Amino acid sequence: MSRKPYQPPMPASWWLKHPAYRFYMLREATVLPLLFFVASLLYGLYALGQGESSWLQYLSWLQQPWVIALNSLALVASLFHAWTFFVLFPQVMPLRLGSRTLPAWLMVSAQWAGVLLVILALWWLLGGMNADA
Amino acid sequence: MPSMAIQLQRYLPERDSTPHWQAFNVEYDDSTSVLDALEQIKAEQDSSLSYRWSCRMAICGSCGVMVNGVPKLGCKTFLRDYPKGLQLAPLGNFPVEKDLIVDMSRFLEHLTAIKPYLIAEAAPQGQPHRQTPAQLARYKQFSNCINCGLCYAACPQFGLKPDFLGPAAIALAHRYNLDSRDSGKAERMAQLNSDNGVWGCTFVGYCSTVCPKGVDPAAAVNQGKIASTLDGVIQWFKPAKASRNKEQR
Ligand code: SF4
Ligand code: FES
Repeated sequence: MSRKPYQPPMPASWWLKHPAYRFYMLREATVLPLLFFVASLLYGLYALGQGESSWLQYLSWLQQPWVIALNSLALVASLFHAWTFFVLFPQVMPLRLGSRTLPAWLMVSAQWAGVLLVILALWWLLGGMNADA
Repeated sequence: MPSMAIQLQRYLPERDSTPHWQAFNVEYDDSTSVLDALEQIKAEQDSSLSYRWSCRMAICGSCGVMVNGVPKLGCKTFLRDYPKGLQLAPLGNFPVEKDLIVDMSRFLEHLTAIKPYLIAEAAPQGQPHRQTPAQLARYKQFSNCINCGLCYAACPQFGLKPDFLGPAAIALAHRYNLDSRDSGKAERMAQLNSDNGVWGCTFVGYCSTVCPKGVDPAAAVNQGKIASTLDGVIQWFKPAKASRNKEQR
């Protein structure tokens, strides 16, 4: 008997089919606002090299509502991405003590604690600078 | 007994060029599984219906179908959980032979490719290979795979690129690589290091959600990325053996 297998198509819209796929695409899409953030950082560096007037121009560019909105989106996106990354981390690098695995929640909270520490350290550093000025 | 409307995806290769939907009604109670419903349809309504099954207790892995678009074992899925009705289709991402029967040979080829067996020196004097509970715990979860292929139906990367080794094959490779009795890791790494190996995965993670055995293939694949990176670093420092992976690239 001859065979005639039917190969189901994989449409470009495959990721709309299930919430798990949409969530995945959202996670991957966080790179877009981050690209904008990186571009505005690079613009800032460039402006700094060009002298005071272009630096001041850069600062006023930064304060435009749409720039603030996009950069806030980048912040939210990076926090969201960090969250997905932290949750996946124990799956990728399970820590073993003998025959037991460290519980995932412990590893996730440790990572958030790390984020908090970095934020506090930055706060302290920048606060120190302000006090000097 | 209450009855439920079931939409079944039919494909009769001698007649059809594409699949179509056919409606059936089945009687069910709290213990009726999707597999029971299929048996009822075949016995009482349409004997031409084709589907696979064997153990009907979630161990042989042959009854995988898409239940309302989600890969499930027919024998482990119950009508009582779908009060709004059911849509049954063959496992996604595989070629369909007939009705709910898919051609799994791609998956099986990938499985063979990673040498899913112990590659080990014989234990001395016919003694058993000894293993501590801690050594067993390292791979035990990954050894629970029943080769049902649900994870392949869940994996968009396999759907887009059928050469991707895929979740279960990589999980099984990882399972043997982690086994203290095994010494075949070097033979498996060439496959795992390639673009169709662990690096074909973008961590969608849905394979682990649908796995009926808690294998967590996504964890295996992504632990495999670390193993593959380390393997690459080791190759870097051992130029004499570097040619081993080239043919895979
Ligand atoms: S890993 Fe899970 S879903 Fe994939 S074949 Fe094995 S048992 Fe089935
Ligand atoms: S019939 Fe064996 S797993 Fe369902």
